[in-house]
Amino acid sequence: MSISKLSKTDFKEFVDGLLSSGKMVMGVQAHGERFAFDVLKSAGDLRLDYDVTILPPKKYVLPQVETLLTYTLPEQYKSQYQEGEMILLGVHPYDMAAINQMDILFSQDQYDTHYMLRRKKMTIIACDVATPSKNVFAASMGTATVHEGYDILLTDIGDAYVIEAATDKGRSLVQGAAGLANASAQDEAARQAVWDKNKIELNKHPLKCKPSDIPALLDKAYNHPVWDEKARTCFACGSCNTTCPTCYCFDVQDDVSWDRTAGKRYRAWDGCLLENFATVAGNHNFRKARADRFRHRLYRKGKYVPAKIGGRIACVGCGRCITACIPDIANPVAIYNRLVEDLGVAPKK
Amino acid sequence: MSKPRVAIFDFACCEGCQLQIVNLEEEILDLIGAVDVVEWREAMAETSEEYDIAIIEGSITRPEDEDRIRTIRSRAKILIAIGACATIGGINKLKNNFDLDEVRNCVYGEAGQMEHLETGQTKAVDEVVKVDYKVHGCPMTGSEFAYVVRCLLMGKTPEIPDYPVCVECKMKENVCRWEYGEICIGPITRAGCGAKCPSAGFRCFGCRGYVDNPNVEAAKEVMDKYGLTVDDLRSKLVLFGSKQRPTYE
Amino acid sequence: MCDCCSVEKEKDIYLPEPASINACRMLNGTEMYMHIGLDSGKPLGHAPGQFVEVSVAGIGEAPLTVASSPTQSGFELVVRNVGRVSGAMHGMTAGHKLGIRGPFGSIYPVDEMKGRDLVFICGGIGLVPQRAFINYVLDNRSDYGEVVILQGTKCYADRLFCDEVAEWCARDDVQLLETIDLPDKQWDGNVGVVTTLIPKIGVDLKKAGVLVCGPPIMYKFVLMSLMEQQVPMDHVFLNLERRMKCGVGKCGHCQINGLYVCQSGPVYRYSDLAGVPEAI
Repeated sequence: MSISKLSKTDFKEFVDGLLSSGKMVMGVQAHGERFAFDVLKSAGDLRLDYDVTILPPKKYVLPQVETLLTYTLPEQYKSQYQEGEMILLGVHPYDMAAINQMDILFSQDQYDTHYMLRRKKMTIIACDVATPSKNVFAASMGTATVHEGYDILLTDIGDAYVIEAATDKGRSLVQGAAGLANASAQDEAARQAVWDKNKIELNKHPLKCKPSDIPALLDKAYNHPVWDEKARTCFACGSCNTTCPTCYCFDVQDDVSWDRTAGKRYRAWDGCLLENFATVAGNHNFRKARADRFRHRLYRKGKYVPAKIGGRIACVGCGRCITACIPDIANPVAIYNRLVEDLGVAPKK
Repeated sequence: MSKPRVAIFDFACCEGCQLQIVNLEEEILDLIGAVDVVEWREAMAETSEEYDIAIIEGSITRPEDEDRIRTIRSRAKILIAIGACATIGGINKLKNNFDLDEVRNCVYGEAGQMEHLETGQTKAVDEVVKVDYKVHGCPMTGSEFAYVVRCLLMGKTPEIPDYPVCVECKMKENVCRWEYGEICIGPITRAGCGAKCPSAGFRCFGCRGYVDNPNVEAAKEVMDKYGLTVDDLRSKLVLFGSKQRPTYE
Repeated sequence: MCDCCSVEKEKDIYLPEPASINACRMLNGTEMYMHIGLDSGKPLGHAPGQFVEVSVAGIGEAPLTVASSPTQSGFELVVRNVGRVSGAMHGMTAGHKLGIRGPFGSIYPVDEMKGRDLVFICGGIGLVPQRAFINYVLDNRSDYGEVVILQGTKCYADRLFCDEVAEWCARDDVQLLETIDLPDKQWDGNVGVVTTLIPKIGVDLKKAGVLVCGPPIMYKFVLMSLMEQQVPMDHVFLNLERRMKCGVGKCGHCQINGLYVCQSGPVYRYSDLAGVPEAI
């Protein structure tokens, strides 16, 4: 790990240098009145002061639609892999934490080459949050800061960025940047101050228990009335899934050419809130009730996925589902807090 | 496998959905190459009484239309309804909110009493005959139509979305129209359009009809939350939602 | 993340292996039987209870539990025409190509059950996955105790593997009881649902291994009956069908509560399903 710093002017030069070298850079930019990751064309468009993007950078790690195979008929299949390297620039700690989870999920048990190859060709430049969004609660989930997964971490300390290059990929990228200087003890203290502040301020919806209490809390909550109460106004629109940085369920479909000699098999984002997520051939739906699907999402975040990834809670506190939910029922903190109040955090006897 | 014989028919409509077929551009050549078009009033002079697939645009609004669609159905192995007029009745169903004599008088004045202007309640095609597949939208989504035809060529049931427009709207990274205080009916409307209207800065008008199981009970509470009323919502549903029947069988 | 190893060396878990249909025939009005071999000539390498993802290019994939014992050459599938892939398979004949991924999922307790009595409770098409284990047991007959097969079918015309069932029935080391829900003139045997056969079993249920497979509705009633007879929950094994789309524990469709059926199932020990309310 090497810690250095770049003045904001030099940083702009550095980014323009990346762009002129022909690298594909996906950076955070203004998107109407909000922010979004998009192809970065000029360092001037980069907005590292953003609060939150509408969609998480998941859209690059697990694309909305991804061709897995092509084939010629009958039954000659060929694996397809995404070509090219990509730099993600401006990933917030909570989104980094989400990508770290997905890295485990797609590499454990059965190794997903499509996901993993893309990840290996990706360089992630994370950045600490400069402006809290209106619904962020990362501090409650322990993801206000992040210390793994990225190649480079940027922290805005006023007139400069502290730059931590954590991997060889990261080091080779910043190496030789004009104006690069070693970070002083003062700079590191300024970075620590940003972390300390974010650990307090990124908390618009404080959770009334430790994240590690959530699995045991849910052990007692399966038949709690909150699921029906909330799901009564659920549109099953899946916006809480679509905007979630840790949701990774997908559907697989086929499409063929007009002459029916060739085709492709692709996966596309899916969501467990959608009506037919658990419907099998023959039309039996194993999770027909909205309340059951609603509960399933909160259990995945708080219990099922954590069991697969060493206890990490699969909600990183980005607050996107809260913003996206029209009837305002998706807020995980509101639900978990309600359960804490009604059931207490002591484990089930 | 020999090429399926396809016939395209129009009823009460603006013919905009047939235009979507023409708008397939390069793909139209692939389409014409994959099927044998035997009747298509808008594009050719020939007619036929023998076809495998009948494609129907428009809604059924007159008694004689009902006879005509039944004849077409009896000749076709597969019948596809294209566009909102055919799949849900569409804008034509606005008429069903009024007295029929009043409608005739309003549109044609005294001439409205002439026999050939006789009119009935507007019906979606599936209110008269069995419809095998529906390509929703006003106009229908051209790429979805192409996908449905390719599926039928493969002998497989196409997957038509049964989830709301919100899914595709979020994927486009649009700011939710509700945040602007608009009544967008995307949350109860069937996706498949790629959220075209919200992506262009408009609310969803609901042209693809409701999802199979829309949460109508949520309406009042959600309206209250946004300081709106159910009547406000109704006024937005009237354009495509008038007397809409469930879109599933 | 490790940058040094090359990911391409890893196998693509979504890539089907080419396979061919050696023979196929209709078993009744709705179920088609297929005998399949991998084009590589290698055995599938499955154990009883496991499933494969059958791929038809241009159509999609569907999970199907292997119907045959690994003690036989090639493997067999039985498919009901209920979806896109199964519909396409129903249009196929010997010589047609298919893609196969797998085998995936958990297996029947073939070793644990050695020396024990076995009771197979099958409803309708539930006979198909069970058949893989039944034939495995019959091919290793001396390893196991008594074998009881209960088969319930909706109507006479729906009966599956009639010749094979007749062969099992004729054996003196198998007790086979069959019942039909809605009998017609062709049937003069037991009438009613499969649970009505449970009291007629000639072995001590409490000591036997009980293997259950059938439509979703059947499990509830069979389990109620078994619990009434005080069969220990850890002696009971259920084969659960879900929407196993990717087959490799990623896509999320088959999940019942915290369990990915494609990984920890489809065969479950009933006692492991306590606290999994979505299972039954």
